[in-house]
Amino acid sequence: MASVKLKNVKKVYDNKVEVVHDFNLDIADKEFIVFVGPSGCGKSTTLRMVAGLEEITDGTIEIDGVVVNDLQPKDRDISMVFQNYALYPHLTVFENIAFPLRLQKVPQDEVFKKVTEVSDILGITEYLNRKPRALSGGQRQRVAIGRAMVRNPKVFLMDEPLSNLDAKLRNQMRAEIILLRKRIDTTFIYVTHDQTEAMTLGDRIVIMKDGYIMQVGTPDEVFDSPKNLFVAEFIGAPKMNTFRCQLIKENGEYYVTPFGSKLKVDGYKGEELKKRNIEPQEVILGVRPEHMVLGKDADNDIDAKILVNEMMGSELHLHVVTRDNTELIIRVPTVDLSHEQRSKLVNGHEFHITFKGNVMNFFDVNTEENLLN
Amino acid sequence: MEKTNSNNISLFDDLSDLDLLKLTRFQTFLYKIIHFFKAIPHFFVSLFGFIFNFIKGFFVWIKDDFTEIVSTFKEGDYKTRLSYPIMGFGSIARGQILRGLLFLLFEIVFIVYMITAGFHWLGKLPSLGTQASGMVYDPKLDTYVRVAGDDSFKCLLYGVMTILFILAFIYTWRLNIKQNQISEMLLKEGKKLKSTRDDLSSLLDEDFHKTLLALPLLGIFFFTVLPIIFMILVAFTNYDGAHDGYSNLFTWVGLDNFNSLFNLNLGSNNLSLAFGEILSWTIIWAIFATFTNYFLGMFVAIMINKKGIKFKKLWRGILVLTSAVPQFISLLYVSKMFAANGLVNGVLINSGIISDLSHIIRFWEDKTLARIMVIVINIWVGVPYLMLIVTGILMNIPADLYESARIDGANAVQQFFKITLPYMLFVTGPYLLTSFIGNINNFNVIYLLTAGGPDNPKLLTSAGSAGDTDLLITWLFKITTGAESKYYLASVIGIMIFVFVSFLALVVYNVIPSTRNEEDYS
Amino acid sequence: MSEISKKHMGLKAKERLSNTIIYIILVLMSIVWLLPFIFLVFESLRVETTNQVGYVIPKVFGFDNYINLFTKTDFPIWFKNTFIIGLFASVIQTIIVLSMSYTLSRLRFKGRKGLMNLMLVLGFFPGFLSMIILYKVLSWFNLTGANSVPGLILVYVASSGMGYYVSKGFFDTISRSLDEAARVDGATRFQVFTKIIMPLSKPIVIYTILTAFMAPWGDFMFAKYISHATSAGMNVAVGLQYLISTPSNLAANYTLFCAGGVVVAIPITILFMALQRYYVEGVTGGAVKG
Repeated sequence: MASVKLKNVKKVYDNKVEVVHDFNLDIADKEFIVFVGPSGCGKSTTLRMVAGLEEITDGTIEIDGVVVNDLQPKDRDISMVFQNYALYPHLTVFENIAFPLRLQKVPQDEVFKKVTEVSDILGITEYLNRKPRALSGGQRQRVAIGRAMVRNPKVFLMDEPLSNLDAKLRNQMRAEIILLRKRIDTTFIYVTHDQTEAMTLGDRIVIMKDGYIMQVGTPDEVFDSPKNLFVAEFIGAPKMNTFRCQLIKENGEYYVTPFGSKLKVDGYKGEELKKRNIEPQEVILGVRPEHMVLGKDADNDIDAKILVNEMMGSELHLHVVTRDNTELIIRVPTVDLSHEQRSKLVNGHEFHITFKGNVMNFFDVNTEENLLN
Repeated sequence: MEKTNSNNISLFDDLSDLDLLKLTRFQTFLYKIIHFFKAIPHFFVSLFGFIFNFIKGFFVWIKDDFTEIVSTFKEGDYKTRLSYPIMGFGSIARGQILRGLLFLLFEIVFIVYMITAGFHWLGKLPSLGTQASGMVYDPKLDTYVRVAGDDSFKCLLYGVMTILFILAFIYTWRLNIKQNQISEMLLKEGKKLKSTRDDLSSLLDEDFHKTLLALPLLGIFFFTVLPIIFMILVAFTNYDGAHDGYSNLFTWVGLDNFNSLFNLNLGSNNLSLAFGEILSWTIIWAIFATFTNYFLGMFVAIMINKKGIKFKKLWRGILVLTSAVPQFISLLYVSKMFAANGLVNGVLINSGIISDLSHIIRFWEDKTLARIMVIVINIWVGVPYLMLIVTGILMNIPADLYESARIDGANAVQQFFKITLPYMLFVTGPYLLTSFIGNINNFNVIYLLTAGGPDNPKLLTSAGSAGDTDLLITWLFKITTGAESKYYLASVIGIMIFVFVSFLALVVYNVIPSTRNEEDYS
Repeated sequence: MSEISKKHMGLKAKERLSNTIIYIILVLMSIVWLLPFIFLVFESLRVETTNQVGYVIPKVFGFDNYINLFTKTDFPIWFKNTFIIGLFASVIQTIIVLSMSYTLSRLRFKGRKGLMNLMLVLGFFPGFLSMIILYKVLSWFNLTGANSVPGLILVYVASSGMGYYVSKGFFDTISRSLDEAARVDGATRFQVFTKIIMPLSKPIVIYTILTAFMAPWGDFMFAKYISHATSAGMNVAVGLQYLISTPSNLAANYTLFCAGGVVVAIPITILFMALQRYYVEGVTGGAVKG
């Protein structure tokens, strides 16, 4: 239970490659923070600097008000779950979980109490006498979490803990981590490349790219108001549709003009544009696949032709092409369509799409920053 | 400039990746060879550039270091300043007692050593001694008296050690200054210095490598580094059995020894001839010994591993069993077996294949036959070991490679050349180099089989005799242990082996794709 | 018969033929590889003459050579010398080699790459060259000739750190995240070494101990130079070679040499076969990577 402060943290490898630049972040006590980004964005390096496994080239990291730059990992009171679990192959599950306690020379009866407590929570009590080799991926994962839990660390670090699991198990473990988090009640830093994990787990999400922080915010913030094009495209699946077009102002109302059409910006976004009196200009328009619906609407519709229809079960992903050959993806909940409507949505089918004007995003063509920042 | 007809691409130009794909395999091969040689001038340019930059960097470093030493003194407090003459003073004054005492102790030991012995040996180094031991006429007593005199060997050895000690002292002194500078900075920032207890416990954590390396590096320094420095220096002296260092001093002779090895005009001295002869045989031997074993070992391993062959363990077991017997036994026994009056000739006579004693096969007495014999027997000794290695690697070749090759229609031979061999060469590249170097220095096989023989009068030199199967290393052994004990010559040959091996390694490391990326495994 | 099944039969027959050829080669090879050792054993049991002869099966069988070897030659001394050297070398050398390879494989520190390059370059010098000075220095301390045993132990052990490649190759294959996990769990680097990595490294420890123990049994060059023709300081290799080093010695001792060979070969071979599994792991895991 502790706050973590990263001030101007920098990481340079071999005096040449700078992988983390000037990283600033205040993590509150008991907060669940997720670092997310594509591989090579510096998220793991940052986590490992917090853990003390990488040297901090410049800047300071504080845990609970203490600068830990020069402290060894063992003196930082943190624990960590690794991507490949890093279980000690020669020790039983019990001894694996007990390992941190053994190093602290905790008496045996207390070790037993704590380990069984943890193993009960994680449902691995029956495996306590097994070696890690004899466990499945999911069970190993639990042991790794158990080993990290057992000593009530100040900060709980997780480095892509779910990426070695298959899709189904991953969803299950994700839910369990959410539950676990309520029981453990400490500060979490979680690293992942998967935006779904980030959105579902994080109190706040730190989106990184090439060693820079792109945006820090709650899942709602980063989804609704992405600070820049990168965040907009990274968060959400399928990813946001983007195209260059003109933002124009007519009679006090804003319009955008993609694919030769004219779409009205209304609702919240329209108000914001007006309030800030944004200059008409060329913009990158961002529209999420779920922010379009099938059917006609006087102001905001275009016509399009289906290229591919991906049936995902609960929803359809329609890859369509507009009159000027721009490709779009539209997400349509299956329940909204009758069986007859669905049967029509085949390759080559032509139909109308209506854009929701109140949730559009506009990015500067040069800086790729959100115009409404 | 040669143009390839088909597509007007010149193999002499630097081609783009796409253009390279247009070449036939033979053209690609030519292209690689041409560009290997084209790169040589560039290599030397960059080598000299590197050396120049290194020297420049060295002087810049010295200058910077000197400025820093001065500025540390100017800006430092009295504790730092006093540490200049009294090492460790700053540390002790700031509470780091152990560090300080170690610095101080080192300084005291150094000063005492230099006064009692160091300067003495340093003074002897340029001459390597002026007075041999023995009887010297004493005019006062009007008789010959025994004097202890100098020992050139000790002069050289202790002289070198003294220089190394001085360097170590300078380094430690600099460390002591740096220590003060860092401590002052830390204290200014309000941080605490490491206590003696911290220092000790760090030896099991941050500085654990120092703890672990102390003993191995100490051994390597005294038993490898120091002897190598000493022996390199011996190559520039006339140290031999006649100039043993105390009854007859030896001294510096500059490059004379190298001259005598390379000078072809010295009619009476055929040292350079012998050297050339033995070097070329050493190379031939190393090539044959390495590659016969390598390919035959691979062949045997593939045979045993073939699907459908039964008793795999038995075949492997038999071969491994034979390689388990210490080499000197098998080599000595086989050597005697093929001797003129050995078992093979005996059996041949008894069975009537050879009519009488005058027709026995003299395996070890004919140059060509003896050379073939050592290579063949080396196969007998080495193949089981290679078989073991290759078997391990074969099992690691992913099976799907073969499956996809079979689907693509490759037969067994094609599979070998397209998959097995490239994979083996890739994985065992560094091993091949090590084993090649090992064979250049393969003392046991040659010495125990032939002892270098048959002796060749052409190879008789001032350093003693040498034979047709002598390698540089066995020649070196003979020169050292022979009656003449031409140590300086042994040193020169040792240096030549070093130069040759380093050159080879340099080429191989640059040609073989890096298979040694250690981080790949972690 | 259809075309397809004919072709199938052809394939099978071809397969059978190639397998037969392979069996023939393997049997011939086994004979060539084993025969000299069988001869060696027979000759060691020959009583009628100690000299070389032109037949394999002895006319009179007996253990005379073995008895003479132990009673009339210095063989017991050589055997004892080698055994003592092997014992000390295996303990000290294992400590040194493992320290070195562990450090270079799993610890990161300034100068690590430089150190490894230095080791590589030092290895390019023929090791024997150092013997000239080492012999002289050892002789000052009276560690040559009859007292070669401690001298040889020192020589074998001191530079053994340079032979770290095989065990480093082994350590390299252990996932680094184990070290990191242990350090986060509160272990010092020393505890990582003792509590995590060492228990996982049994194969390489055994491999290192046994190779270190076996090496002195086969060393010839250093042992010959250091013992300097003094029988009391020889190891078995030098001693047995000394037994048959001149024509007259050869005539008198040839079968004794054979017996000596058998006596030395048996324990070493048994050891080697027992260690084969580790040996293969070590050789294929580490030696190949260099």
